[in-house]
Amino acid sequence: MPSHVPHSSGLQRLIAQLAPLLIVCAVVFALPVLLNNDFLLNKVARYLVLGILTVSLGLSWGFGGILNLGQAMSFGLGSYAMAMALKLKTVPVHTGASGLPDFMVWNNVQHLPWFWEPFRSLSFAIAAGLIVPALVAAALGWFMFRGRVTGVYVSIITLATMVVINLVIIDQQSYTGGFNGITDLAQLEIFGVAFDAYGRATYYLVAGCVLLSLLVAFAFTRTKAGLIVQAIRDHESRVRYFGYDVALYQIFVFALSAAIAGLAGMLYTVVMEFASPTFLGVQLSLSVVVWCAVGGRQSLVGAFLGAVLVAGMQGALSESAAFLETWTLVMGALFVLVVLFLPKGLAGLAQVVLRWIVQRRHAAGRGVAQGVGQTEGST
Amino acid sequence: MSSHLDLRDVSVSFNGFKALNALNMSVRKGELRCLIGPNGAGKTTALDIICGKVKPSAGTVSFDGTALQDLEEYEIARTGVGRKFQVPSVFRELSVSENLDVARARRTSVLGNLRWNIGNAGRADVERLAELVGLTDQLDRPAAYLSHGQTQWLEIGMLVAQDAELILMDEPTAGMTAQETRKTAELFARLKGKHTLIVVEHDMGFVKAIGDVISVMHMGQMLAEGTAAEVEAHPEVRRAYLGSGGISHA
Amino acid sequence: MDQFIEQIVTGLSIGSILLLVALGLSIIYGSMGIINLAHGEFVMLGAYAAWVFHTYLGLGLLASLVPIFLVVAAFGWVIERYVLSLLNNRPLDTILATWGVGIMLQQAVRLMVGSELRYVQLPPALSDSMSVFGIPVSSYRVFLFVVSIALFGATWLLMNRTTVGMKLRAIIQDRSVAASFGINAKRVYALTFAYGAGLAGLAGALVSPLKSVSPDMGTGYVVDAFMVVVLGGVQSLAGTVASAFILGELSGGIAFLQNDTVAKAIVLLAIVVLIRFRPEGLFTARVRA
Ligand SMILES: Nc1ncnc2c1ncn2[C@@H]1O[C@H](COP(=O)(O)OP(=O)(O)O)[C@@H](O)[C@H]1O
Ligand SMILES: [Mg+2]
Repeated sequence: MPSHVPHSSGLQRLIAQLAPLLIVCAVVFALPVLLNNDFLLNKVARYLVLGILTVSLGLSWGFGGILNLGQAMSFGLGSYAMAMALKLKTVPVHTGASGLPDFMVWNNVQHLPWFWEPFRSLSFAIAAGLIVPALVAAALGWFMFRGRVTGVYVSIITLATMVVINLVIIDQQSYTGGFNGITDLAQLEIFGVAFDAYGRATYYLVAGCVLLSLLVAFAFTRTKAGLIVQAIRDHESRVRYFGYDVALYQIFVFALSAAIAGLAGMLYTVVMEFASPTFLGVQLSLSVVVWCAVGGRQSLVGAFLGAVLVAGMQGALSESAAFLETWTLVMGALFVLVVLFLPKGLAGLAQVVLRWIVQRRHAAGRGVAQGVGQTEGST
Repeated sequence: MSSHLDLRDVSVSFNGFKALNALNMSVRKGELRCLIGPNGAGKTTALDIICGKVKPSAGTVSFDGTALQDLEEYEIARTGVGRKFQVPSVFRELSVSENLDVARARRTSVLGNLRWNIGNAGRADVERLAELVGLTDQLDRPAAYLSHGQTQWLEIGMLVAQDAELILMDEPTAGMTAQETRKTAELFARLKGKHTLIVVEHDMGFVKAIGDVISVMHMGQMLAEGTAAEVEAHPEVRRAYLGSGGISHA
Repeated sequence: MDQFIEQIVTGLSIGSILLLVALGLSIIYGSMGIINLAHGEFVMLGAYAAWVFHTYLGLGLLASLVPIFLVVAAFGWVIERYVLSLLNNRPLDTILATWGVGIMLQQAVRLMVGSELRYVQLPPALSDSMSVFGIPVSSYRVFLFVVSIALFGATWLLMNRTTVGMKLRAIIQDRSVAASFGINAKRVYALTFAYGAGLAGLAGALVSPLKSVSPDMGTGYVVDAFMVVVLGGVQSLAGTVASAFILGELSGGIAFLQNDTVAKAIVLLAIVVLIRFRPEGLFTARVRA
């Protein structure tokens, strides 16, 4: 039987797939040692958070085939959950013990609205930052996927829904802070550790969450459910005829992706020290798509790096308005090129290059032992 | 013996065109039924009705006592119906082994499938299936790279993996070489008895080699049923195939 | 009574603008299945072209219409030929690519002429007003109404009475069969896309005297146009007309009743519900399961 050519075992393959993820996380954790500048570190933390957001999109788009153009909706909901809790912590300081957040006072609100009440508890807020986006996504997913909405239509519905929520937040100024968002927040404090936006603790919190979300997303893709989700991306109806309820799988990956985006949103509030309607704006949401496409939608690490590098570059150039304008043009062009010629993004390119190098080495080695390697060649 | 699958007066129309017109068919458990008929007779549509891809406008489909016509596709699949499509349908971006793994649908719930998928028990199963359909050397290649015949084989392997009680095959040997076709016939002979099969085919040699009973469809209706010899002698069947050079050249 | 008629006439005027803007998108979406997110930028290019022709060449708006159509159509042709035609069978990627193209066009215009608002003059011959059902209406708006209907008629004739239109419909039915009859699908697609882009350019030029011209003006238009197409139904030109005027009347009514945010939210929610429950649009018969 020819089948006993040693296939690379499951474990070996697992290690090979985890390696890039772990290397990237190691670099992220090591960065503060090299970068002794709190201001810069805060900036990097910002890009790392955007990286987490992009990983969440990669999960639903690259693996599930669900191009969510409203990914920032979940991000924004998470960020508001955190901001509401941190805002209430400032209340005794600014407006007295039984007082209200300052913007409510300005808007003549008499009592703290019921949906603000539970946010006095930080644990509740953190849970809400994960669960609310997941539930909203699950509900929206149920609405779409039960009706077999696919492809482009999913993108339009998600985008429109996000804009509606954005409009509502801006409109309901007295409860949400409206256009200005929620500003002047207290510092996040967990188990006595204060997370100053410019402190090391915050950076490591973000780095820890990068590792956590990459691992969770990776673990999901390695489950059978993760495999089925990819099968749905390839050929939705075929999956149905094997007895899987396709909509449920789509709802699941959609909600998981939203929860990760919610986590990123909470961190963003901590790093930026405010929450704003722009966090669930069209601009950010579409940028995430660009980062994900450039980095590689089918690679979690690729998506992460795409965000960090592109957003970082943009941040570096934003010092000068003229540069930024040109940059947007260059980004547009780069994006179109990636869509056209590199559907798997830079990660796909890296894979091709790696495989090529390995094959060349292989070929060089095989020159000596001709004829043995016939059965091999699967990578 | 009571019938296992029963189609009663099933009708379907597309934009007013009756693709199936009060079709009746019943198949016994463990039987291998061949379904033939000229192009456009409604064979594919009949399979579509059974697996839920198309809903009948009238009539009933019952399988093992369950009424299928009102169920969703995935629910029908869970009652034990598997389907191979005329246009080979596999997951092109997934590897052969992953394709087979998806088809092994013992558990179908999301939460039930949230466990890690690196176990070796499943791998052994997948390797056995791959051997069955001659794709052992292709296990780690994306399905997109397979030849047409290999893709057909992969989908057949996926149906074996699914282990459905009733297997619907739509032109499984299209695009296969004579040798591949013979291997397919052998495989079907092995499946017969353990599974109930309905096979749509054009190749009369193949049909004669595998089929117990042959059903002939024409214009959305059942024209005749019987052994190969009976069917070929049937006057209406001869008339239906008139002009297409006889039954064996359909 | 007067107020009611005034409302109707306002609605007709809004509807004719919607029709102008949506027609090109409808053609492209209906025949090629491409949601062209750069459509708004084609509208914007048309508006800037009107401004350039006027400011630098002293050409009046009416005289510039034909050259504007040709210029923007040429843009469309290039984009179809060198971007979209590479994306056969990748519908999600086409919307990404057209969006990227849109960003580039917007940014290029911003870099070249700045982001200040620009204004285009009304054609002097049409700057007075006339009476419609006893209501004074600006002559230019009446002109737009007539032009939008005329462009719709021309497009309908093009699709249904010319060889190019017939070829296009053959390709929509079945591309490979059409190809086997010697129809060059690539060329027909490029021409269709160019025509749709040209229409968008015309729309931009025609609305430019009513609104200010800026690099990001297209965003609003593409949403409106998309709404019209979704409501009217893909592949139905008549549906596009009906939905343009229905939306025109409605948006007149809604803006009259509600504030702007609510109106916007309602429009978006309507799109969402419509896509979910009637993706084929309101005015098309259900075909195929
Ligand atoms: N989705 C559909 N829409 C319209 N007509 C269809 C559709 N599916 C099948 N038909 C028509 O129904 C008839 C039966 O088709 P089919 O079942 O595919 O025939 P067969 O498989 O026997 O060749 C054909 O005339 C075909 O054109
Ligand atoms: Mg058929």
